[in-house]
Amino acid sequence: MAVGVGLAEATGPVIALIAFSALMPILGYIEGKLKYKYLTGVTASVGFSFALIYLAYFLWRYWGLLAKGNALTSSFPIFGPPLGVEIRVDPFSVFMALLFAGLGFLVCVYSIKYMEHDTGLDRYYAMLLLLVAGMIGVAIAGDFFTLFVFWELMSISSYSLVSFRKYRWEPIEAGFKYLVMSDLGSLIALLGISLLYGHAGTLNFTALSAIFAKLSNIDRLYGYAILMLIFVGFGVTASVVPFHTWLPDAHPAAPSSISAMLSGLVIKAGVYAIARGSFMIFAPWTFDYGSLFVIFAIITATVANIMALLQRDVKRLLAFSSTVNIGFILFGLGTAAYALHLGASTTVAIMGLVGALMHILSHAIGKGLLFLAAGSFITRAKTRNIYELQGAGRAMPWTGTAFSIGLLSLSGAPPLAGFVSKFILLMAGYSVGTAFMNVATSLMLVNSVLAAVYYLRLIQICVIRPRGEVAKGLREASPVIVAPLVVLMIALIVIGCYPWPLLDMAQRAASALLP
Amino acid sequence: MELMSPQTYMVFSIILFVIGVCCLVSQRNMIKTVIGIEIATIAVNTALLSLGLMRAEALGLASQGPTVEPLAQVLAIISMVIGGLVAALALSLVVDAYRHYGTLDLKKLRRLRW
Repeated sequence: MAVGVGLAEATGPVIALIAFSALMPILGYIEGKLKYKYLTGVTASVGFSFALIYLAYFLWRYWGLLAKGNALTSSFPIFGPPLGVEIRVDPFSVFMALLFAGLGFLVCVYSIKYMEHDTGLDRYYAMLLLLVAGMIGVAIAGDFFTLFVFWELMSISSYSLVSFRKYRWEPIEAGFKYLVMSDLGSLIALLGISLLYGHAGTLNFTALSAIFAKLSNIDRLYGYAILMLIFVGFGVTASVVPFHTWLPDAHPAAPSSISAMLSGLVIKAGVYAIARGSFMIFAPWTFDYGSLFVIFAIITATVANIMALLQRDVKRLLAFSSTVNIGFILFGLGTAAYALHLGASTTVAIMGLVGALMHILSHAIGKGLLFLAAGSFITRAKTRNIYELQGAGRAMPWTGTAFSIGLLSLSGAPPLAGFVSKFILLMAGYSVGTAFMNVATSLMLVNSVLAAVYYLRLIQICVIRPRGEVAKGLREASPVIVAPLVVLMIALIVIGCYPWPLLDMAQRAASALLP
Repeated sequence: MELMSPQTYMVFSIILFVIGVCCLVSQRNMIKTVIGIEIATIAVNTALLSLGLMRAEALGLASQGPTVEPLAQVLAIISMVIGGLVAALALSLVVDAYRHYGTLDLKKLRRLRW
């Protein structure tokens, strides 16, 4: 059921972030006059905290309604649904928006000190604010038109952020590659959206799901074509394997704070768009795409795992491991769709979706933490080679501890967040009970173990081994850099030990996704 | 004046999309790559417009003069603006790459490993 709210009320965080980003050029000018180089960074952090506090207030005020399975909608008075713009907030949107704003705030605080030697910081923070505004917009969009506009806002800011340090060769090449691949992906998705409009005459999610629920066989074929276009288009940003090649180049080239944003959030926005585009519109009991998702998930995880095992560059290794984890999230979505198409009970499907959502959360926090910690190592040590970073964790104890906790969480060690999500995912896979799912889940289990191999090797080299040549002269990073790491580390431990409130929220978000 | 049918527009926009993607894949010059992206963008915009027309025909709006639902055209205009932004950004990267290497050849640029 839809409950109407005011437009300004629903889009509050997006408006706040865009307003703060418009403020940045003026502040950059004042900063130049004042010779105080932290002004833009501190103001941008205030902007992020505004968005975060507003979302928390929104959640507190409307949680009663949202928890009952309602969606909050709002639109312009003249160009409204089913044709025009609609903002639609359901538990899944709030879940993702809180994640986007929270990690965005921590990355912004980290950037204050991390980026202090770069020039053009007003542009950097303006782009960072627009990036998060775009992602929150994607999460609260109620139709494909709004989703596409915010999607491009997000994409364009992330292209320019990847190539921010354009005086070196690497960001330019990686940024160009990312731009070409990701823009082609957006165009393919837009082609899918246009075919969707041509068939249904509307782009509204709820209206579309009603239209695609009753179809003849020819139309079903058309539906599969659209589904493939949307999956491929958003899959480029989500880095599903045949389309993942931009990711291992873009992550090492970008500043570490931006790698954390890309790996933690931008590729999750791709997964979000895939989940919305498939589950909301193409009902899983009519369309059979679950097995396809599962097969793509296995290919993604396996290929990326093998590539990650071969890497010596710490950021490139972490980038491949992001692709592995996208495989796990896609596996959760695929399990849910497969179980629903098979006619199994909804409980299994909800379990798969909850696993996917929890893995989105735990991987965003964990991989954000790892990239920020790696950035902290790299700024001090001036190298990305893991063998040259030998023992750096001993020289920088806080960063080293956070780095190890993040790696342990991603490898699925029990008291941490990664264990909860991987356990639910694999349990959901085994409870479907068909031979295909049993084999697939076992393959994912093997992949999980393979991933643990290089995570533990990274801990062994960077933290446990005695200090190498480079690590001898290192000292701990500044407290402003360490504070976000510690917050993320505590979040991993708390979620691992006491996941029940988040599991409850994820469960409501999962039921919101099913029509 | 007799217009071409929207179906013809759709066929041509698909052909245009394929041309754009071929240009993107086969050309070694960076600027030609950007041109490929632009051709693909235009193809998608044309597809949107022709689908809007088809929709209007299906609804019977065409008998009341050239009327279509606004959504497809609004989306096409927004997509044009975005295409312009992307082209500007891509060309600025091309300029930076040229300053770095003195060439626009993508094969000479590929220092990134797979």
